[in-house]
Amino acid sequence: MEMTTLSQPSIKTQLRALFVIARKDWKVFWRYPLNAVSHVFQPLIWVTPVYFMGKAFSTNGQAMGFAAYTGSGDYMSYILIGTALSNFIMTVFWGMGYALKEDMDAGVLESNWLTPISRLQILVGRTLTSLLTTTITSMVMLIIGALLFGFKPTGNTIAAILTAIPMLIGLYGFGFAFAAIVLVMREANTMVDVSSFLVQGFSGANFPVKSLPYWLIPVSLMLPLTYGFDAVRGWLLKTKTLLPLPVEVTLLIVSMFLMLWFGSWFFYRVERRVRTLGTLGQH
Amino acid sequence: MEVSLPSPSLGKPGVLSDIHALFAVVNREWTIFRRYPSWIIALFIWPLIFPMMYILTARALSGPDGSGLQVFLQTTGATQYIGYIIVGTTVWMWQNIVLWDIGFALRNEQMRGTLESNWLSPTWRFSFLLGHTGPQLVSMAMFIAITALEFGLFFSVRLNGSIWMILLMMLAAVPAIYGLGFAFASLVITMKEANAFVFLIRGLVMIFCGITFPVSLLPGWMQTIAKFLPQTYLIHGMRAAAFSNAGISELSTDLLPLLLFGTFWLTVGYVTFVWMERRARQTGAIGQY
Repeated sequence: MEMTTLSQPSIKTQLRALFVIARKDWKVFWRYPLNAVSHVFQPLIWVTPVYFMGKAFSTNGQAMGFAAYTGSGDYMSYILIGTALSNFIMTVFWGMGYALKEDMDAGVLESNWLTPISRLQILVGRTLTSLLTTTITSMVMLIIGALLFGFKPTGNTIAAILTAIPMLIGLYGFGFAFAAIVLVMREANTMVDVSSFLVQGFSGANFPVKSLPYWLIPVSLMLPLTYGFDAVRGWLLKTKTLLPLPVEVTLLIVSMFLMLWFGSWFFYRVERRVRTLGTLGQH
Repeated sequence: MEVSLPSPSLGKPGVLSDIHALFAVVNREWTIFRRYPSWIIALFIWPLIFPMMYILTARALSGPDGSGLQVFLQTTGATQYIGYIIVGTTVWMWQNIVLWDIGFALRNEQMRGTLESNWLSPTWRFSFLLGHTGPQLVSMAMFIAITALEFGLFFSVRLNGSIWMILLMMLAAVPAIYGLGFAFASLVITMKEANAFVFLIRGLVMIFCGITFPVSLLPGWMQTIAKFLPQTYLIHGMRAAAFSNAGISELSTDLLPLLLFGTFWLTVGYVTFVWMERRARQTGAIGQY
């Protein structure tokens, strides 16, 4: 006997599901307005010590040492771009894993899993509101950064945004893989904090990777994010890039496809295992 | 006519029983601390990776030929930039961890649903908060010792001063740092979700206290604010004690304000706790979360 399902999935229903997930997260986000304010000011607070430290390294307001590495002495614009990109990385990279953990703790993961939509779609849906709020908070952060620290991008903004897109889409692949690890490990906060610090450090969120100790540079060059940070800064600030810009953009596009493929393959493999073990509802 | 007298309490409060209760809380916290060994990993990793963000940025600002570093050393009067940064970031991490650990001590009990029943026990209620401090001090001492060990081993940071003077500075800072934690813990019970306030307080330390730069680089109004934060004196004094071989007379300008701030914050911490305790009983909010 052939079983039929009552659900009739179509593109329209899939989009509606995404919208419903995003709307729920939007409501929750604005329910805690202090957190929204904190999203804007936290990154600025973290870069303030760097601003004053940079002054201690500068002569007549010029950070000559920094300029020798990057071709630009405007270290604050360099760092603020890194910080804004890091906000997006945090959203996509870790957001999906954290969202799963929240659903586990709230006890709704199992029921969400029973809905007739793709599990990857649930994960992607959980990032939509975060992407929107991160865009808003990062823009406010950059405006305040311009007022306080003199953030002045002088290059091609459109090219920089177009370069950041494959980097962010590629990060979804990593996010899927990380979400799979959360499904198995359930408690992953220390791992998240430590790896987030390391990945952002090695990919040069706050400094040029050329200044790393020579034995750490190969680790940095293996991360696609390194080329993302480097290329976006190359477009916006006209800094010296590690590789020619077209090569860096090509690398980002290739790594985007690879990471998406690997991430979804790994997620489905682990998710199947968790369903077989029946541990989905545990936390 | 029969008159029923209130039944006498089985509890016999006294100084000894209060000390006994305090040790019971210390013992419980120590057991919980040992029960989650993943803390050990964090204990070794965080002292290294948090300062690394600033150290690597400082490396980049130095330039390939180290010309920027010479400017930094002249501006700060420091002999080494890594040691200079580590002192600042370690003080920041100390205050940050105290805010999360001590600041959320009562809140965590509230979330577990055990705060109300503990409150009914015939004991000195401040001991619930004070009991958290002992194990926290031990873990912080381990954290700071590991920081010194790791940077000594991996980055060849060497002391040019007396370890006793460093310890003296840290000891003088304990009342201020933990007093702030007590005040915060009491407020959290009333305000519930207080993550944003932790971010605010630790943000103040990060911006104004000169964790990676000398306070003299700040604009005048920011320097005025820095004078009202005990961590400014702790960072300045510890740097002087660790790398400039400062003695007790040179350190007195930092020690005295630290002790005054300590008295102030311990008093504020205790008064806030008593106020919160009274308010929570009146409003019945102690068990809400």
